[in-house]
Amino acid sequence: MTPLQFTEEQRDCLQELVNVAMGLASDKLARYLDTLVHLQVPAIELVDTLQLPQHVNQRYGEQSTTLVSLGFFGDQGLRGEAIMLYQLENVGVIAQLLGYSDDDSSEAEMLTDISSVLTTTSLNGLAEQLENSFSYAAPRILSSRDQHFSRKLTETASQWQLALMVDIRYQLTDYSFNCDMMMLIPGEAVLRLRQMLDKILAGF
Amino acid sequence: MALTVLICDDSMLARNQLKKSLPVDFDADIVTAGNGLEALAILRTQDIGLVFLDLTMPELDGVGVLEAVKAEAMDCLVIVVSADIQPEMQKRVMELGALAFVRKPASAEKLAEVMHKYGLI
Amino acid sequence: MQLSGVFEPLLAQLNSGVVVLDSQYRVVFFNQFIARRANVILTAVQGQSLFDVFDDLPKAWLQRKLDSVRELQVPSFSNWEQRQYIFKLPHLRPLSTGSDYMAQNCSIMPLTAPGGNASYLCILIEDATDAFFYQQQLQSSMLQLELANRTDGLTGIYNRRYWQQQLQQELLRATRYQHPLSLLLFDLDKFKQLNDTYGHQGGDAVLTAVAQSISALLRDTDIFGRYGGEEFGVILPETTLSGALMVANRICSTIAEKTINYNQQDIALTLSIGVSSFEQQSADEMIQQADIALYNAKRQGRNCVRTYVAEGYLQKVK
Repeated sequence: MTPLQFTEEQRDCLQELVNVAMGLASDKLARYLDTLVHLQVPAIELVDTLQLPQHVNQRYGEQSTTLVSLGFFGDQGLRGEAIMLYQLENVGVIAQLLGYSDDDSSEAEMLTDISSVLTTTSLNGLAEQLENSFSYAAPRILSSRDQHFSRKLTETASQWQLALMVDIRYQLTDYSFNCDMMMLIPGEAVLRLRQMLDKILAGF
Repeated sequence: MALTVLICDDSMLARNQLKKSLPVDFDADIVTAGNGLEALAILRTQDIGLVFLDLTMPELDGVGVLEAVKAEAMDCLVIVVSADIQPEMQKRVMELGALAFVRKPASAEKLAEVMHKYGLI
Repeated sequence: MQLSGVFEPLLAQLNSGVVVLDSQYRVVFFNQFIARRANVILTAVQGQSLFDVFDDLPKAWLQRKLDSVRELQVPSFSNWEQRQYIFKLPHLRPLSTGSDYMAQNCSIMPLTAPGGNASYLCILIEDATDAFFYQQQLQSSMLQLELANRTDGLTGIYNRRYWQQQLQQELLRATRYQHPLSLLLFDLDKFKQLNDTYGHQGGDAVLTAVAQSISALLRDTDIFGRYGGEEFGVILPETTLSGALMVANRICSTIAEKTINYNQQDIALTLSIGVSSFEQQSADEMIQQADIALYNAKRQGRNCVRTYVAEGYLQKVK
C-alpha cells in the first residue's frame, strides 16, 4: 500500500466524519432557508485522481456541466480544493431554492454564491469533526457552458493525489436533484489527514 | 439476565464510538449489524431489548427498519442515532415509534441522559 | 510580547477596507481606508445601520449575503468581475482608469470574539481597480485586433479574407432556411487611366470615396468588402436576383452621377457590376459567376449591370 492509500478503517472513519458534517450542514441550511429542503447524508467515494476525468465523464457524459472551485486551508497542513459540479439545468432550480429570483444577480454570481454556501457549510462541519478549522479562498468558476471540463480536470489532476467524491442530493417534497462536491487533496495533506483519522481511530 | 443490545450502523467507527460511549455500568450483551437487512434478521431471531439505529445505511435504511419493527410488532426499544438531524426527520422517526433521537456523534453524557430517562440504567 | 497596541495602527495603514458590523448590521468599526475614501468619521456614525451610513449599497443583495454569513457562520465572497463594486468609493487612479469607482473584491466573514456570545461580521474590501483596468485594456485591444483583422486598411470596409468567410456563412444560412441570397462584384471603369492621371494617391482617394458612398446605399445586413485592387463585392442576404439588380443599378447610377473632389479637381467615374444569385452552387462558383457577369458588363460598354443567370451563361460554364 502506498502511503496515500486509505485502509478500510480510515475510509470508514472519513465517511462517517463527512456524514456527520453533512448532517450538520443540512440542518443549518434547512433552518437558514426555512424550507423543506432535505439534504440527504451523501454517498462518498474515494477516487484516484488519475481516474478522475474518466469517472466524471461517466457520470456527466455529454451534459454541460459547471464547475466552481473553492480552496480551503486548515491547521496542521490540511488543505485542498472543493469543487462543486452542477448540471446546468439544475442551476436555475438551485438559485430559486436559495431565493435568488428577486434581484439582479448574474448567473455567475449566483453560482459562486451558492457553491460557497454549500461547500463552506459542509467543510466547516468536517473541520469541526477533525478539531480543525478552515479558512477559504474566494470561489471561482472553472468552466461553464462548455465541454472542456474533463480536459481541465486532466490538466489539474496531476496536482492532486486524492479526490473525495461526495454525492450530495437535495430533496424537496416534490422535487429532487443532485449535485456533486468533489474534494481534491494534495499528497502531503493526504498524509496529514490520515494521521488525523488514525488519531480518531486510536480513541476507540 | 443481561439485556441484549443491537447496534446498527454501516460505519464501523460509528459502531465502535457508540459501544465506547455506553455507560460503564450498563450490563448488556452487544451485537452489531452493518445495515437494515442484517438488523432485521437479528431482530427476528434473537431476543433484542434495545436497538441503537443509524438512519442512512445501504440495503435498508433506518426508516425501513423502524417500519418493519412497527409492522411486525417487535418487542424492542429503538433509539435513533443519526447525523441527519433535521426536524422533519426527527418527527418522522418519532412517529414510527422510536424512543429517542440522538445526534451523531453520540456523546457518553447524552446517551446516559436518554437511557436514564427511559429507565434503561 | 504584547501586540494588541499595534493592531490599531496596522488596521489604519492596511491597504484594504475593513468594516465591522454587529449582528444587526450596525457599524461597529471601519478603518482609515474606508473613512478616507467614503469621507465619513467613524465616531459620527458608530451604531448606525450600515445601510444608512452607506446609502447607495445594493441593499437586497448585500442583505442576503450578510444573512447567510450570520446564520450559517460561513464566509461569503464577491468579486469585481461579477459585481464591479459594493461600496461606491473613489479609487487612486482617476486619470488612467476609465471608471468612476474602485473595483472591489469583497469577503464577508463571521467574527466571534473568543469566549463571547456576541457575534460580528467583517466586510473586507480589496481594491481591484488595477485588475479591472488591465482587463478593460485587454478587451479593447482584443476588439481592435479583431477589427483590424477583418478590415481593409485603405477603405475601412471588410477585407477579402473576412468577406469570403462571411459569404460562406451566408451561403450556409441561405441553404438552411431556404432563403434567397445574391452577390454583386464590381470594378471601377478605366481605373488604370485614372491612376495614371491623378497618381496613386488620387486613385486611393477615389477608392475610399467610392467605398463610402456605396456603404451609404446598403442595408446594415449587407456585407461590403474590397475584393482586390479596384474590385469590390457586396453580399446581399435575403435578396432575390431582381432585388439585387435594383441595388446594383442604384449603385451604378449613384457613382456615375457623382464626382469626387481630389486636389481641387472633380473626378468623374463609372463602374461595372456583375450579379449572381444563389442556386445551391458553392461560394467559389457564385463569385466566378458574378465575375463572368462583370466581365460581360465591361465588354458591353461599361457603366452597366449584367447578371449571370439572365444572360444565359449557365450553359456556357457547364
